[in-house]
Amino acid sequence: MAAAVVEMKHITKCFAKVVANKDVSLTVNEGEVVALLGENGAGKSTIMKILYGLYSLDEGQIFIRGKETTIKSPADAMFNGIAMIQQHFSLVPVHTATENIILGNVKGRIDLKKQNRIIKKLAEQYGFDIPVDVKVGELAVGVQQKIEILKALYINASILIMDEPTAVLTPQESDLLMMFIKEYTAKGNSVVFITHKLKEVMEVADRVVVMRNGVVVNTVNKSETNEHELAQMMIGHDIIPAERDTKLDYESLPAVLEFKNVTLQPKDSVPVIDNVSFSVHEGEIFGIAGVSGNGQDELCDVLSGIRPMTSGEILFRGKSMRGMSIRERIEQGMGYVPVDRYRDAMEMDMTLSENILLKASFAPKWVNKGFIRKKALDAYTQEIIKKHAVKATGPDDLARSLSGGNQQKVVLGREVDLGTSLMVFNQPTRGLDMGAVDRIHKVILDEKENKKAILLISTDLTEIFGLCDRIAVMYKGKFMGIYNNGELSTAQIGLLMAGIEEGAA
Amino acid sequence: MSTPLLLGSIAEVYAERTGMMICAIEGIFLIGAWGGFVGTYLSGSQALGLLMAMGCGLAMAALYGMITVYMKQQQVVTGTALQILSAGFCSFFHRVIFGVPITPLQIKTLPKLPIPLLSQIPFIGQIFFNQNILTYFAYILIPVSIFVLFHTSLGLTLRSTGENPEAVDVAGINVNKVRFLTVLFAGVLGGLAGSFYTVGYLGMFTTGIIGGRGWIAFAICFLGNWNPKGAVLGTLAFGLADAVSVWMQAVGRSELFPNELIIALPYILTILLTIFRSNFNVPAKLGTPYTKER
Amino acid sequence: MKKSNVLIYNIAAVIIGLIISAAMLLFMHINPITVIGEAGRKILTDKYTTGEILVKATPLIFTSLAFAFTYQANLFNIGAQGQFYAGSITAVSLSLALGDKVPTWILLIVVGLGAFASGALVGALIGLAKAKFNANEFLVSMMSTYVVNAFMDYLLRTVLKETKAEYLQTDPIKKSAYLPKIVNGTRIHLGLVLAILAAVGCYILLYKTPLGFRIRAVGHNPNAARLGGIKPAKIYVIAFLIAGGMAGLAGLTEINGVQHMLLQNFNSSIGSFGIGIAILANGSPIGCIFASILFGFLNVMGTTMGRLPGLKIPASIIDLIEGIVMACVIMSYYVRSWADNRAQKRNIRKAGE
Repeated sequence: MAAAVVEMKHITKCFAKVVANKDVSLTVNEGEVVALLGENGAGKSTIMKILYGLYSLDEGQIFIRGKETTIKSPADAMFNGIAMIQQHFSLVPVHTATENIILGNVKGRIDLKKQNRIIKKLAEQYGFDIPVDVKVGELAVGVQQKIEILKALYINASILIMDEPTAVLTPQESDLLMMFIKEYTAKGNSVVFITHKLKEVMEVADRVVVMRNGVVVNTVNKSETNEHELAQMMIGHDIIPAERDTKLDYESLPAVLEFKNVTLQPKDSVPVIDNVSFSVHEGEIFGIAGVSGNGQDELCDVLSGIRPMTSGEILFRGKSMRGMSIRERIEQGMGYVPVDRYRDAMEMDMTLSENILLKASFAPKWVNKGFIRKKALDAYTQEIIKKHAVKATGPDDLARSLSGGNQQKVVLGREVDLGTSLMVFNQPTRGLDMGAVDRIHKVILDEKENKKAILLISTDLTEIFGLCDRIAVMYKGKFMGIYNNGELSTAQIGLLMAGIEEGAA
Repeated sequence: MSTPLLLGSIAEVYAERTGMMICAIEGIFLIGAWGGFVGTYLSGSQALGLLMAMGCGLAMAALYGMITVYMKQQQVVTGTALQILSAGFCSFFHRVIFGVPITPLQIKTLPKLPIPLLSQIPFIGQIFFNQNILTYFAYILIPVSIFVLFHTSLGLTLRSTGENPEAVDVAGINVNKVRFLTVLFAGVLGGLAGSFYTVGYLGMFTTGIIGGRGWIAFAICFLGNWNPKGAVLGTLAFGLADAVSVWMQAVGRSELFPNELIIALPYILTILLTIFRSNFNVPAKLGTPYTKER
Repeated sequence: MKKSNVLIYNIAAVIIGLIISAAMLLFMHINPITVIGEAGRKILTDKYTTGEILVKATPLIFTSLAFAFTYQANLFNIGAQGQFYAGSITAVSLSLALGDKVPTWILLIVVGLGAFASGALVGALIGLAKAKFNANEFLVSMMSTYVVNAFMDYLLRTVLKETKAEYLQTDPIKKSAYLPKIVNGTRIHLGLVLAILAAVGCYILLYKTPLGFRIRAVGHNPNAARLGGIKPAKIYVIAFLIAGGMAGLAGLTEINGVQHMLLQNFNSSIGSFGIGIAILANGSPIGCIFASILFGFLNVMGTTMGRLPGLKIPASIIDLIEGIVMACVIMSYYVRSWADNRAQKRNIRKAGE
């Protein structure tokens, strides 16, 4: 057996609100790919951030190549040959690839031309083709990831930690990444691969460390396990897929939302929404699949009224939405759960009842002689808390004090009451734990029963296949096609998500 | 007269590139002016006076940096508090040290050092090349700053810190240390800038001596697009307005054309430029403290 | 429980600040305890001087509201000084024009409305720059003060110049234009009541009405507010308009209540003190009343100490005290969050064991 390069022993780490890691021990051997598997919030990233020096540990020891080592900062980690690619890339968008890669690793005067040559050569060694002198903010995420990898290669790291690296990639780009990992470890380097996707684990890992609620529940060799067993370890119980009734003839039901050749083209740029047409009918869940950043968020912006479209027409219950203000859209009965609730859906430093009021501050029912009807509002908030099983002490709790899943339930409760005829969900379950995900899926199906039209945008194919009636695949602002659920296999949808047409047979 | 604006705005450029607005700049100018005066008066040496000015600026910047970088408090709010503190500190200790003198205390100002040949150029020569040492220092600072900010690893680190501190942290550099040290450096420059008013120009100290010029340096940094070159242009614009105003007063034409308008012109200019400039490249994380749970 | 927690830290910070400031007297070889005791006795035994605390606090309530109100919308209004000057110019012009010509109460209402409107105009313009062009309101509001100041100097040199034409100041306003005194033997005037009403009004507006809710929602998270159908741009203008109006009203209380004329560099630091007070009050309108009274007290304390015979304590000591107190309060916010964090973490770890 190969020598251990990293040994973490009995690591415990607490944050102000949670115990993130409790007595976690794990080993990484030379030339090995260790998959760190677990749900969101299981403590995978935390333990690796401790190894990389971004977090300090409260208890425990770290041994690097057999020697006890204190890692106080990323500088210490890099000195020991450890590199980490964060889930949200740590690149300076207005700087070039070269500037990003050499940051902190060169001294004195910078000869940019010479550095560009060095980086270019390094990239070629691994078959990466990257423009070294373009601002990285203008590059695709796949390319940005390669730049992150080059940062590690530039400092000659022998232990590479990757935090959910495939989250932003197409299935085909992921395959390339897997190839790189195999090539890299073949040279005697080690990789720690943080993920919650079982398929990837089976594909790339040598050994699997499964974490749940901040502790390691099991460590197994890949060859001795299977996806089903891993899923059980990760979740702690079996998954029961949500039930849904079959085929309805949607075309015969009235269309609630119609997109007609909608295009959004920012000045001096290619269209981010390119001639998109579709309709969502009463009682239908219409899914939009695709890798994030292909125009889904912009589509939501146009629909919610944040950005005006360049051309085309959107009809809402037969009425044109052109020039309709955000407030009017809410009042017409459109509910919207945005992708980033911290940024777009909640007032974290305000109370739950104030968050309920947020989208109804013009509604006369909450106002009496110019004053807010606090009592009525609180009672209504309490109702939502109860109905959606939100873990909170009452309407006066600050939104910030709730867990992510419970915050999302509050948003959901508010929106389904507002959205009397149309609900728009943009990745409603991103970053939530299984319990919350189940509950949210149930709410979405309930709303379908209530004959609402539902637009569900998701990057999670399981969610798309599990809930939708019809599925569109979005790539670079275009729809690659609209299909009935069941028409497409995972492989076909993967190709469509990568922009390859013949994927659909 | 433009020297302190140039020094101050370049100090801001450095700091703001790392994401730190020095909202205490007015206070730093004042305490620098006072330190320069006290140091020179008590020691009799202008060199020691300038040193004292830098020390005072450094101390105020250290307090500002401690509160904003490490305690993560609002920069605008902290700056205002420290501005009041410096005003109180200077006038109180001025009184403690000097009592109430019958005639205002005077120190010798820095000598003008004409540069041979260059100072002979008609008109421009006298304006640009017959100045004191602080002005020449400011001249040198311009190309040096451009080089440091855009052609060295230090500059890369500073600029990255203002744009994406996480990236800097992940690269193994201590974000808060970078910011704090930059604030200290800006404090030294700011203190020196302030001393120009006492040691370099007037030879005496009053509490109103800065009169908002620290804030102008702050504004110049914005208008100059966080670039030393821009700072030079901005300073020239303000210097010109100032000179015209003085000239107008001297020739006594204020009956025809309100002198106050000329005085207000730089401020109006700033407002208009702030409103109508579109291609701002504000450092993305300007004014945002860097926090991570540890 | 949480709110009282803030208050305790605030009060502790003020006390620590005062102790540090008192220690500064040692530099003058003065025993702080005896001097402060003596000054304190003077203030409390003399009704006129006690009243001065409230006289000084009155305009500070307005200028601190001017900062605190926009602060709720997460905007920085550094230009209260200029808005105050705008209010003062209008107040003095209207008072000079209407003095003895209309009944006092009509004159005061007209002057009050005028002062509010002119401060609000300056404020709204700043808000408009922010709303329309996304200009940095911090910089614009700061620069606006200098512009208004220059404008005021121009008026004082030309149309508003006193009849004697000796100093840069206006003629005194007529007695009938004075804000009536409300406590005999002091200079306390109706403006104090107005200021307290304004603070309470701001509180009700912010916390009890939909408009106030919208202002705070934009302040905490403009993106979410916008998706809630609120227009942040409109809120920016409204918040600055009301804030400017508040500072403008300080013009009424200072011209018609205290100074009875306008002069160059009139009350030149109430703008920045207003910011300090608003910070001390943590942006709460009701807190502004109490923090202003504290600053009023410090102000009178400084002047009284300065007048104590034979000690030569400079009146500028109040700036020093106020600066130190403010720095202490700001630092206390950090200490509080640090302590909270630590306690939470300790609880979590205990629960884990």
